[in-house]
Amino acid sequence: MNDKILNDKSTWDWQTPEKQIPVKEWEDEFNWVQEPCASPDGESIAAIVNVDDAEFSVCKNGETWEETFEKAWALKFGPDGRLAALTASDEEWTVCVDGECWEGRFDYAWDLKFSPDGSFISAAIQQDSEYGMSVNDTTWETLYKNISGTLLGPLGNSAAVVQVDHMDQADIEAFAAGLFCVAVNGELQSERYVNIESICFDSTEEKTAFSIRRSRLDYSIATNSGPWKSNFQFAWEPCFINHGASIIAPVRQNGKWHLFKDDSDFWNRPFEQLWKPTVHDSTGKIAAVVSETFGRWGICENNTLLNFQCNTMISELFYSDNAELLIALFKDNDLWDLAVIRNGNVTPWGLKADKLWAPVISADTKIAATRMEKNNRYYLVVNGKVYQNDFDMMFEPAISPGSDKILLKAIKNGIYYRQTLSLDKVL
Amino acid sequence: MQDVKTNKKVIDEGVEAGLAKLTPEKIASVINQVLEKETGARFKAYVQTCMRCGLCSDACSVFLSNDRAPQYSPAAKVKQTILEMINKKGRVSREFLSDAVRIAHTECNVCKRCSMYCPFGIDIAYMMLTVRRIIHKLEITPLYIQDTVNSHAATGNQMWVKQDEWIDTLQWQEEDAREEFEDLRIPLDKDGSDIMYSVIAPEPKFQAGLIYQMATIMHAANVNWTMPSTPGWDNSNMAMYTGDFETSGRIARIHYEAAANLHVKKIVMGECGHAFRSVYDVGNRWVGWTAPPIELIHAIDFYHFLLTTGRIKVKEKYKKSVTLHDPCNISRGRGLHHKAREIVNILCENFIEMTPNKEHNYCCGAGGGVINCGPPWKGTRMVNNKEKSRQLKRTGAQVLIAPCHNCHSGLEDIVEHYELGMEIKFFGDIIFEVMEKTIFEEGN
Ligand code: SF4
Ligand code: SF4
Ligand code: SF4
Repeated sequence: MNDKILNDKSTWDWQTPEKQIPVKEWEDEFNWVQEPCASPDGESIAAIVNVDDAEFSVCKNGETWEETFEKAWALKFGPDGRLAALTASDEEWTVCVDGECWEGRFDYAWDLKFSPDGSFISAAIQQDSEYGMSVNDTTWETLYKNISGTLLGPLGNSAAVVQVDHMDQADIEAFAAGLFCVAVNGELQSERYVNIESICFDSTEEKTAFSIRRSRLDYSIATNSGPWKSNFQFAWEPCFINHGASIIAPVRQNGKWHLFKDDSDFWNRPFEQLWKPTVHDSTGKIAAVVSETFGRWGICENNTLLNFQCNTMISELFYSDNAELLIALFKDNDLWDLAVIRNGNVTPWGLKADKLWAPVISADTKIAATRMEKNNRYYLVVNGKVYQNDFDMMFEPAISPGSDKILLKAIKNGIYYRQTLSLDKVL
Repeated sequence: MQDVKTNKKVIDEGVEAGLAKLTPEKIASVINQVLEKETGARFKAYVQTCMRCGLCSDACSVFLSNDRAPQYSPAAKVKQTILEMINKKGRVSREFLSDAVRIAHTECNVCKRCSMYCPFGIDIAYMMLTVRRIIHKLEITPLYIQDTVNSHAATGNQMWVKQDEWIDTLQWQEEDAREEFEDLRIPLDKDGSDIMYSVIAPEPKFQAGLIYQMATIMHAANVNWTMPSTPGWDNSNMAMYTGDFETSGRIARIHYEAAANLHVKKIVMGECGHAFRSVYDVGNRWVGWTAPPIELIHAIDFYHFLLTTGRIKVKEKYKKSVTLHDPCNISRGRGLHHKAREIVNILCENFIEMTPNKEHNYCCGAGGGVINCGPPWKGTRMVNNKEKSRQLKRTGAQVLIAPCHNCHSGLEDIVEHYELGMEIKFFGDIIFEVMEKTIFEEGN
């Protein structure tokens, strides 16, 4: 399949040192050009363009899609290199992929998502004031009164919180009785609750877990087969562990946060805050963002506090594919930085960035690369080292399969650059 | 609940239905739980320190509006609610609770004006919010504000705005605003923008024109900005005012995570006072952020920056006489009244001060979630706002600038009820009217 090939980084051009695509000149051709996006392999750059009064198209490497639209937004490349957008024609919305529109037409479509390998594309949709999802142009058979918290799994299953009954204006009794359920591929999978948040799948996508509010004051965790017995003061996002056999979740008890597993205290220590649990299932590693003292943020991994603190926020925490690295994107004294954690040893990069993105990591975990903005200029950063050349804008970099080259994708003075930089040049 | 002026009992169905379900045991256990587990040294100090000296009384516009009737003084509100709960160890009647709801939810704007005049700095607003926390846990919160909080909990915004309605509204405003600039945009989810602009849900619901105006201002000022298509776009937070701290904390988390996901440098929020209090002070702290984790500035600060750096230029000053209402949450709460005056003077020819003003200004009378208690309480609210109406009238101004949504709605009610004949505007309305519709270029 085309997608598989594009996903395979060994087929990308890692030899040509530099390719350029002038993008500034698009502005002469169209009334206006919106913010561009670059393909994973860096070979393409695309933007929504205005071709005429209330007429839009997508321009990719200078070529426009044949079709034009009344409206278009959310343009993005998927991990497989396909280019998708939400588009409207004759006041009907759809998803358009590489210039081909889905057959499904909706009163509205939003929340465009790609699955991790790009094989599935989903959108939240509204048709005749009923709500659901559509995945690869197949729309849920049952639609609901409202939808939120959508999720698209790697295997193509879609889930969301749906409102199952109508509620009259200001009907607080109906609300308290529970109006919300979890729907998976359009089918209801849970009891009704007052609120539902943070749905996640297990790796088979047969099970879901989510946080629930049972009544005004009682929060808990539930799965598609039922809720935990305990009530808590509050609960954040759960995760599956042990190949779907168990669930962990941050819950609040007596004014403190605890990590619970299957309805019992797991880490047995209270925190001022505990959220963003992240799991690497095959190694059994579990980490979470924690605050032990009000206003200080840290990381707890397998119930051990790492030697790390920051005072503003930790916005992302995740494992590399093989769990050798744990990455934290954080802000300290109001500036962004990144910490790479290997065997519990934390190495902050010391970037002091104004904007910073989560890094990509090589398969052997030797290289982590990302982009940052500092003093209104964009830079490539590899293993904490800032590459000297600055740009007006930069896209997510990529690392070659042999971990010897970095693919830089950036714009400067109206020209899009695709550069393959050998590692020794950058480091 | 007795309306003292009319001797008519105000019926709030949410409160009545909740009260009917309560038992004495439940009442006592909830009150004692909150008093013992959720209040600290600060609370105890306040309760023990108050000398009943009455110096705070004249600070409260509700007290002044009710001909200085003693039961409306700040200290008396404490005495009639939380102090009684403490003294009776939670063994209070439903009738008592019914009055406590009226006092804490509709006769106190938690505006903190009284604290400025108390020799001990006793925070009456905090005590009233503790009463509201008890009310929340007893499930006897007034119906309309409870519905607003339910909306926050279910949708992430306060007015049951569905996600497609939100995005559709932005796209529609973008299209309309191309009247001003043909290539104007309201960029949705633009990753790496400098600024995320957030608003409160009444804007897309009833006042979409305000988004149009802001889009025009952003475009003319050549700002690299975005708005999120996802929840987190609404910065308001009524849960903070009903004592639903859990929902309040979630709202703050969603708002800041939306900004972090977009990798913006800062959040600019629209003209709202209580939302500022929520994102700048209350909601963020509940989840553990001592300060906003992403820099957050109120529209006043932002306009001040645009107007003093020449990013927005005034074509011709606004002619009508204007006065300015300082919203408590950004004036007493943040000191933005100086910048607000600088803006007025840049924009308007004829500025008339209101007295009292700046951090001493009276609350609009709608704040602290009072207006959100809805139609059942409008009559008493108008009575409680009499002093505010006098203050407004004294200015003689044609136009009243109120850089806060709640204030706006409350002041509109006052202007209508007391027939003041004033026009009420946001700063955004005036900027839009007087600005040059040209695009700022860096270096020019
Ligand atoms: S906080 Fe404001 S409304 Fe409440 S008692 Fe004090 S002055 Fe009056
Ligand atoms: S001024 Fe302070 S001490 Fe005096 S009555 Fe008011 S709250 Fe009590
Ligand atoms: S609505 Fe406005 S004036 Fe009124 S309490 Fe809020 S900020 Fe204060």
